[in-house]
Amino acid sequence: MSITITIDGKPCVCEPGEYVLEIARRNGIFVPALCSLKPVLTERGCCRVCIVELVEDARSKVVVSCIYPVERECEVFTQSEKIVRERGMILALLKLLAPDATLIAQLAKAYRAPDLDRLEPNPEGGTCVLCGRCVEACSLLGTSSLAAVNRGVSKEIATAYHAPSATCIGCASCAGVCPTDAIPVVEDGAKRTIWNKDFELAYCEVCGELLGTVASLEHAATAAEVEPLFLCPVHKQKVLAQHLAHPYKP
Amino acid sequence: MIAVEPQRIQSILEAYPPEKRFALAILQDIQHEFNYLPEGSLEVVSARIGTPVAQLFALATFYKALSLVPKGRHIIKVCDGTACHMCGSSSLLVAIKQLLALEPGGRTDDGQFSLECVNCVGSCALAPVMIIDDAYYAKVNTEKLALILDAYRPGGEHDE
Repeated sequence: MSITITIDGKPCVCEPGEYVLEIARRNGIFVPALCSLKPVLTERGCCRVCIVELVEDARSKVVVSCIYPVERECEVFTQSEKIVRERGMILALLKLLAPDATLIAQLAKAYRAPDLDRLEPNPEGGTCVLCGRCVEACSLLGTSSLAAVNRGVSKEIATAYHAPSATCIGCASCAGVCPTDAIPVVEDGAKRTIWNKDFELAYCEVCGELLGTVASLEHAATAAEVEPLFLCPVHKQKVLAQHLAHPYKP
Repeated sequence: MIAVEPQRIQSILEAYPPEKRFALAILQDIQHEFNYLPEGSLEVVSARIGTPVAQLFALATFYKALSLVPKGRHIIKVCDGTACHMCGSSSLLVAIKQLLALEPGGRTDDGQFSLECVNCVGSCALAPVMIIDDAYYAKVNTEKLALILDAYRPGGEHDE
């Protein structure tokens, strides 16, 4: 049974159990979020940037909108004074954790994050906010080469033993889902270097378009139980069409 | 590839069904057997239970009970909780450094001792507390310390 909640004064119809962030986005209300990447990845609720104020039975509380399921009618405020203050503080702290991240600096400025002069920024610099999107993406692909290692202030995303991973296929999906471009991918035309490992690049056999790494194409072909095709989507279509048009020709 | 006898790891693995939920128990047993997780052991565990090596590495680096570098035969833990700190645990650390040339997190060159600085062990009335292997030593001072450590040196009464 549908219920109606209001977000920033706008009535929004939703199903019980839906997450506040999804409802807001569906209704065109922007809530900033770093770690959420629905529907590709599961909700993580770790960056805390998407907090909103929720008023239910005249009681107000701050909730993490990407993992807060709506159960009954309520009012949601995404820009209340409290939220602006707390979100600003969260962004200020993320900026200290990842002082070199352009996106975090932009968000901190846009949401008027305070200057925390009394705290030292991460002495190693860096752009990673430890959201774990890359770890989940790698796991979904069946490679699981990444994990969050160590704990507390020394926690970081790394491969086992910080060595080139035996299971990594160089697909760069980790870099693709990273909100702050924290994972370096270097390509020189013949090879791609990522996570301290070199991969041979694959190009379309007809037009020469870059397809990815040979290892990632082979991984995908193995999963689909077919032979790898080194063709771009356009030429793959043409080759298959030829094959269908002339099924009996060798 | 494995620096230790593979049969010893194999028998630990076979004590558990090959399921992911036993990852931590297996790693603890390997740690107990060798005093650390030998090189290559994570790969063997991964092959047996299907947990990716990266995740086992995450476990091994998360828990203080697991170590990827060899530990000494005897593990000295000096409590540095509030009470022990006030009662002079830092002077114990200084004394251990003088006696054994050992810093927290380190191991002596002969492999006899490892030193760990831990937070409260819940025995504040006995402060400062030092634990060697499973034995607790209460109200330790520098004179007592030298005697206790001697018992754990090679050939000492507690060095089995």
